[in-house]
Amino acid sequence: TPKPPAQIRAPKSSTTLGKTLLYNSGFKGDLTDFKPAEVFPYPEIGNEEAEEISQLVAPVEKFFNEEVDSAKIDREAKIPPETLNGLKELGLFGIMVPEEYGGLGLSNTMYARLAEITSLDGSIAVTLAAHQAIGLKGILIAGNEAQKQKYLPKLASGEHIAAFCLTEPGSGSDAASIQTRATLSEDGKHYLINGSKFWISNGDMADVMTVFARTEVVVDGVKKDKISAFIVERAFGGVTSGKPEDKLGIRGSNTCEVSFDNVPVPVENVIGEVGGGFKVAMNILNSGRFSMGSSSAGMIKKLIEMTSEYAATRKQFNKSLGEFGMIQEKFALMALNVFVMESMAYLTAGMMDRPGLPDCSLEAAMVKVFSSEGGWICVSEALQILGGLGYTKNYPYERYVRDCRILPIFEGTNEILRMYIALTGMQYAGKVLTGKIKEMKKGNIGLALGMLGKKLKNSFGSSVDLGLTGKDGVVHPSLAESAKKFEQNVGLFGSTVESLLYRYGKTIVDEQLVLKRVADVMINLYAMTAVLSRTSRSISIGLRNHDHEVLLANTFCGDAFFKNNYLMTQLQKHSPENNDANIKKIAREVLEKRAYVCSHPLERTY
Amino acid sequence: MKCARCLLQLQCLRLVGQSARSAAQHGALLRSTSSSQPDMLHNTQVLRRFHGSPACAKRRPVPAEFINEDDKKRDKSLVTHDDLFEQVAKEVKTKATFNKVVDVFIKRDIRRRGHVEFIYAALKKMPEFGVERDLVVYNKLLDVFPKEVFVPRNFIQRMFNHYPRQQECGVQLLEQMENYGIMPNMETKVLLVQIFGEKGHPMRKYQRIMYWFPKFKHINPFPVPQQLPEDPVDLARFSLTRIANDLDAKVTVYQTHIHPDLCSFSLFSFLPVLTPGIQSPSQMQLLAQHSPSRPVFVEGPFPLWLRKTCVYYYVLRADPTPPDEKVEEPFDPERCLAFPLQLDLDLDRDFGDEESFDVEDLDEGPVFAMCMTSQGDQAVLNQWISGLQQNNPILGQVPTLFRLDAGPRELQGPADTESAHQHRTDPGPQREERQPEEDEEPRRSQGAKW
Repeated sequence: TPKPPAQIRAPKSSTTLGKTLLYNSGFKGDLTDFKPAEVFPYPEIGNEEAEEISQLVAPVEKFFNEEVDSAKIDREAKIPPETLNGLKELGLFGIMVPEEYGGLGLSNTMYARLAEITSLDGSIAVTLAAHQAIGLKGILIAGNEAQKQKYLPKLASGEHIAAFCLTEPGSGSDAASIQTRATLSEDGKHYLINGSKFWISNGDMADVMTVFARTEVVVDGVKKDKISAFIVERAFGGVTSGKPEDKLGIRGSNTCEVSFDNVPVPVENVIGEVGGGFKVAMNILNSGRFSMGSSSAGMIKKLIEMTSEYAATRKQFNKSLGEFGMIQEKFALMALNVFVMESMAYLTAGMMDRPGLPDCSLEAAMVKVFSSEGGWICVSEALQILGGLGYTKNYPYERYVRDCRILPIFEGTNEILRMYIALTGMQYAGKVLTGKIKEMKKGNIGLALGMLGKKLKNSFGSSVDLGLTGKDGVVHPSLAESAKKFEQNVGLFGSTVESLLYRYGKTIVDEQLVLKRVADVMINLYAMTAVLSRTSRSISIGLRNHDHEVLLANTFCGDAFFKNNYLMTQLQKHSPENNDANIKKIAREVLEKRAYVCSHPLERTY
Repeated sequence: MKCARCLLQLQCLRLVGQSARSAAQHGALLRSTSSSQPDMLHNTQVLRRFHGSPACAKRRPVPAEFINEDDKKRDKSLVTHDDLFEQVAKEVKTKATFNKVVDVFIKRDIRRRGHVEFIYAALKKMPEFGVERDLVVYNKLLDVFPKEVFVPRNFIQRMFNHYPRQQECGVQLLEQMENYGIMPNMETKVLLVQIFGEKGHPMRKYQRIMYWFPKFKHINPFPVPQQLPEDPVDLARFSLTRIANDLDAKVTVYQTHIHPDLCSFSLFSFLPVLTPGIQSPSQMQLLAQHSPSRPVFVEGPFPLWLRKTCVYYYVLRADPTPPDEKVEEPFDPERCLAFPLQLDLDLDRDFGDEESFDVEDLDEGPVFAMCMTSQGDQAVLNQWISGLQQNNPILGQVPTLFRLDAGPRELQGPADTESAHQHRTDPGPQREERQPEEDEEPRRSQGAKW
């Protein structure tokens, strides 16, 4: 098993960076609580592990380059059995299953590294992710020893394939609309599961499924319906899968409806407690997201190689394509995005690998949102470099575009995740700030004056000192400028969050447009942190081409700084930059009509 | 060549047709106001006028006051033209005959003597001939004016009111068009220019109409079409969707076969009675949540006016839930898998960011469904309720009370009233839980208390 990097201090609590940012920025104005140790230095893996991974990566890369025919998988909407067998032989079906259960037993960091390669084919990546990132994760994190012994070995070897059955026709994230029901049989030995689940990845080929169903639970003498998680084998009988969905992208992955008709599930197959399925589902979903950063990064790195080859050889007006500014911009954009995604993904994975199972769901969500959107833009720009050629099926770009489109949708849509990010932050900051805000509302002049002073200070661009730069600074001096910008953003963000809480209180839940901006600022801040941390380490240990990293880091931080400032300006009261009221009104009028409202420009009234 | 010319002509024709159509649409707007007050319209003929010079007023044989003071004299001046209309259109009054009258007048006298009186008479007669909304007819009438005679030729004429009676008549014609919501077209403009010149009062009137009409054309967000559907079921469908104003609501037509012995007087005894009803999914949900211990009411008839047509509808409603029976759905923290639906904070919205108005809400009680029927007898409404029950099983458990007024019957003929009266006293096919007449009174008083 991998050893945690020695030099990183174990966190005292499960409080991680995302929350810390809010906590500190909002708290008292002094930022003694900011824990640079959480993210500085950038997490490292041990030498043994590094060796292990290089041994693993080479054959997987070879396999994907030589054995996987992505075009064929896409065309035939099926991963051929020999490809699946190859993946199984490489052990890719049990990357994170501990060695004692027959898996590779790799850490989150190593998982992220392998995801970089498996993402070269979207269908395979999704099949693998559905199998191990969510499908068998329930058994892994909440199952008991007997369940692990029974199921994990076969799942890790790929003999059995797992699926995660939560979504139902009427429900996305709404647990209340789960209709599938598990009723205890008369002899009390079985649960009978009835219902159907929609959009189940691997639904057709899964042998073992994590199924969520309603069960009757007695809480304090009152009967209640609560969700429970079950391990259901197809062999139990009564499980049928529908026709595979015909999808835009990731066509080789199997997605279908799975129906359960009086499926008898032994009581020992309940994951966790009866009625405790909600927590299990949340934990599985939250832990499955972090790898999307490295997946997107892997994909775009490949695209950069392919498109730069084209840009260097293709001539227009006696110039190669790469000499045109607008094409150069696209390459810079791709490089920046890969760099930031990588930094965020491995920072998060590294934090998750620390002992004590820290809760990094907030960070994972931020990585997912950033990388899925960045990935979409980059893939689209890569296609644009080729122009019409990219649009044809002769090149893989259109497939990448189609495959990539799923990223902002699955594993929690980006909209939902933004809500999660912002509200988790708000809840955290609110706990700290409630007392202060109440005092201010009562008319505590001292506090109000203090706040005014702080606001004035912020408006002059003075930043808070987080101890990133200077004599004992953790950030390398080449990045001092960027670190200052980060600090300034954090300071402003603190007062912004404070004023938002002052204005909206708990009703901020309904202010989705506000929350979206809060989430975006948080994502940007986290990205800046990751980039600063990674680059500082690269310079300090003298990684090859670290000067390029400095360039990327400074560019990204400068860019994110202005974006953040703009977003936070929009969050001010009566901000002329803020068009939310109009946006809501437009949407309301359109939705009222359920059509585009305006008359046709060619229409006349006389 | 010939072919091309034909095409051109055709196009012109189509253009005219189009403008006529758009003019007809205009009419939709103002019809209800104007047509319901024909007398007013007539009065405005003389009362509304533009300022003229005193000299002209002296010369004018028919001053404004005449309309009330000296009816006889005015009648006398118009009598010949009225007669002309009566003579030509003895049997049928149609657009063709109206046109014929105008043609006769034009041909009778090259000098068009008495054309002002003729136009006034024609304007008055237009509704009778059913051409009050026909732009072509208005243009034809305008064409009766001799051309170029009334166009001022120098600045003095232009300064003073040149040919005031003729100008006033032209304005009157435009005003009648305006009142019927008819928008003038290019032909009208050309005629006006030919008759009164570029800057005459009728031209000004035309310009004003052309300024305001397009602006007001779509002022009504819920326009009623000029031509209402003929079929009562279609009309009901239209009216119900109009009242409900809910894109999800579905219209269902319920069929009733009334027993011949129940309504021996009625003409409908052998025909199935069609009752279109409307209900939306949210109304169904509301009804499903309704407590079966409290009754629902069938109330009506309520009138709905669509232009000149009045239709009646019935609603299925309940009294508002008394405050002590209201159950608020408890917050379930395990509801959303992705993010907290509520924040655990002790902070409310700041007063300065409160955007909702402080409106005193009066709970009116939900309306569950509506239907439209011309015969508001209980058998028909019963059938409607049992039809609703198919999709709303709760109606089998909830007591349904009928609170019907005799409303629309007073407007019907005496025979109808009689038969309706018969229905009410007849003990119709009732379900056990319904005891309309006896039960109604105490319930109603209870309702009043809530």
